[in-house]
Amino acid sequence: MISAVSRRILAHRGAVVGMVLILVLVGIAVIGPHVVARSPTARDIDHGLSAMGAPLGPSADALLGTDTLGRDVWSRVVSGAGASLTIATLGTLLALLIGLAVGLVAGYAGGWVDGALMRVVDLVLSFPFLLLAILLAALLREADLASSTAPVILTLGAVSWTTMARVIRGKAMSIARAEHVVAARALGASPMRIMLRHILPNVAGVVVVVAVLGFAQNLLAEAALSYLGLGPAPPAPTWGRMLYEGRPYYRTSPHLVLAPGIAILLAVVAFNLVGEGLRDMFDPKERA
Amino acid sequence: MRIAALVLVVCACGAPDRDPRWRGAGAKTPRRGGTLHVATNDQIKSLDPTFANDEVSTYAAQPLFATLVTYAPTSAELVPDLAERWELDADGVTYRFHLRDKLVYADGTPIVAGDFKYSLERALRAADSPFYPYLVDVVGAGDVIQGRATDCAGIVAISERELQIRLVRPSPSFVFILTMKFATPQRAEWVAQWGDQLRRHPLASGPFIRGDWDEGTKISFVRNTHYWDPSQPYLDRIEMLENIPRDTQFLMFERGELDTAERLSAPDYVWIVGQPAWQPYLHQTALMRVFGARMNVTKWPFKDVRVRRALNYALDKSHTVKLLNNAAVPSHGMLPPGMLGRDDGLVPYPHDPATARKLLAEAGVPPGTELTYVTQNDEQGETLAASLKGDLEDVGLIVNVQLVSFATLSTISGSVDGPDFSITSWVGDYPDPTNFLDVRFHSRAIADENATNDTRYSNPELDTLLDAARGELDPAKRTAMYKRAERILYDDAPWIYDYHPVTTEVTQPYVRGFELHPIWVRDYTHTWLDLDANGERIPR
Repeated sequence: MISAVSRRILAHRGAVVGMVLILVLVGIAVIGPHVVARSPTARDIDHGLSAMGAPLGPSADALLGTDTLGRDVWSRVVSGAGASLTIATLGTLLALLIGLAVGLVAGYAGGWVDGALMRVVDLVLSFPFLLLAILLAALLREADLASSTAPVILTLGAVSWTTMARVIRGKAMSIARAEHVVAARALGASPMRIMLRHILPNVAGVVVVVAVLGFAQNLLAEAALSYLGLGPAPPAPTWGRMLYEGRPYYRTSPHLVLAPGIAILLAVVAFNLVGEGLRDMFDPKERA
Repeated sequence: MRIAALVLVVCACGAPDRDPRWRGAGAKTPRRGGTLHVATNDQIKSLDPTFANDEVSTYAAQPLFATLVTYAPTSAELVPDLAERWELDADGVTYRFHLRDKLVYADGTPIVAGDFKYSLERALRAADSPFYPYLVDVVGAGDVIQGRATDCAGIVAISERELQIRLVRPSPSFVFILTMKFATPQRAEWVAQWGDQLRRHPLASGPFIRGDWDEGTKISFVRNTHYWDPSQPYLDRIEMLENIPRDTQFLMFERGELDTAERLSAPDYVWIVGQPAWQPYLHQTALMRVFGARMNVTKWPFKDVRVRRALNYALDKSHTVKLLNNAAVPSHGMLPPGMLGRDDGLVPYPHDPATARKLLAEAGVPPGTELTYVTQNDEQGETLAASLKGDLEDVGLIVNVQLVSFATLSTISGSVDGPDFSITSWVGDYPDPTNFLDVRFHSRAIADENATNDTRYSNPELDTLLDAARGELDPAKRTAMYKRAERILYDDAPWIYDYHPVTTEVTQPYVRGFELHPIWVRDYTHTWLDLDANGERIPR
């Protein structure tokens, strides 16, 4: 079974590329901060800026150049990887939790429960994603949570569970009519037991796919929120924040936006590739 | 092949020609006509001279209102404007201003001496005018401020063309106050006619009148054909866009939609300073402003002068200057370069962490002492605070930076319960030390709330010196007194003195006769456009 799955996914070239990229990224995020020469928040006004006080371009001293305070862009990208991946992971897990609960219940129960839950999903989806995210992030920041990353994670979870709920509900609905579920019900299994023991394992494939694709979305959303100044508080770097800080310099010191921009691009592409690979694997019919 | 083509395209886009796109026609004498396109990054709040006080409103007031006296085109030297001459009587307190003949407003009605009296009294009577404190030295001003009189006894229109102003004590800086736009003549009937709409309907006496004004978006100024100097202005029209961020202004400038770009953002500034082709079109001036960090000298540890000096030694001003892209001059005190009384012999505190640590140890401030520093929550405030924090950490102090808005900061700094250590700045209204030192360091300016002396520094020796200098009519003696005052404030160090900002604007090559003014900053009275015979720009 395991070997069959791995063989199928290894046959998907995009997924392999994506997985390698993800491994590299996670490696950078985990090991990177311990091996970079300079702290991502260490300012160096004497040597890290030109005589005019402008950021320096890439050099042997600073692989990706320095930013407006003479900080090392490479160490910031590395440290930002950790921050961005952590936020996206926790945000996705939160979304998954809500999405699974809503999707399973709606799909299994059907009827008015399904109708009510799906109207809630419609309601959330009817708000433009970014507007809702900005509103939530701003409100949560006011709430004075202990960590400045918590509002971002909560926001991502709260706006991105809807797609997951819908997909899971659809799948759960079809499985709820399958013979083994009907049999379980006939034997007197409780709804909770049926959902967890008989439906959940059968929607797992779909869940993995939506989670991985949702993760890529959340990476982008985190960058967008940070860019709008609603991300984790500075000076801790995230890629979105770096983009924002480098924006005025896009003509004179393009490395300030290229470095975090390419990092975001690679991470999102990697997770999308893997997500697509997984989808093809779990649902061979859709394969072109 | 496709990749090669793509690389070519990218390279071609990477290096567009960003040199000036136009050139001047090369006229030797100023050419009349044309429209100048400018922008500001904020919006105009009011055109009522008695109330307009913010920077952008002042830019808009500049072309509209003439005053008795004004500054020379590029310096702070006083020159006649609506008054052709003025004199000070032998008593040292009575000024006589003689108006030019046949002065009229933009609507053709005459400007008479009584209009100046009315205008000054309007500032005194209006409880919410920011300007009445400037007139407290005028005889009878106090009675009008407190509502005991409507007529200010010290301001007398002797005739239609002669205005007399008497002061309670000699004040060499008084004439400077009359250059401020609230001292422009206003006609009582006009003010009554427009009421609260006066902020939109200025009665112009300056080189331009107000054209269309789409508030928050765009205002235009049109040549005042009744201006007293028929040779001025050269421009037919000024179009001023409001609320355009500085980096956007620069993009519009490069596209030719604007003729000047104000106070360039850091990346644009750094770029253009390195471009030889643009050098002739950069205009720089040191602003009459000062920035630093104030300390409450009545609170520990700042009440110990050794601590205050230590902090001055600890701050590396070369970092400040570099973070401001070299557009700043390190300061040794409050008075900006070029001001009367400034002691250029005083050298800013050098960056000397060893001395700083020694002084802190002598004062009994142990390493690891925590200080809270309050600053403004904008990019520059955060950047400079980070730099200050690092410098003070080098001498063993731990600094917690607290960010607040500019409005909050200005309210809390002047309060007795306000922060002990915070960013501070001063923007001069007129080029005289009284406007700096008396306001910020005289013990008279200490109050529980809204104190302008927010360091609560009180020194009888300095008070006596400032009071004497304020009324001293001999410039040499006065200069010596202020130099002495500068020395005292240098040694007692109630601020960490940091820098005086330098501002830069860039103009298109065909914009001539435009220099940044040390006080007005922007003044288009003498600006002209060097275009071809048809009034078109000439491509380079």
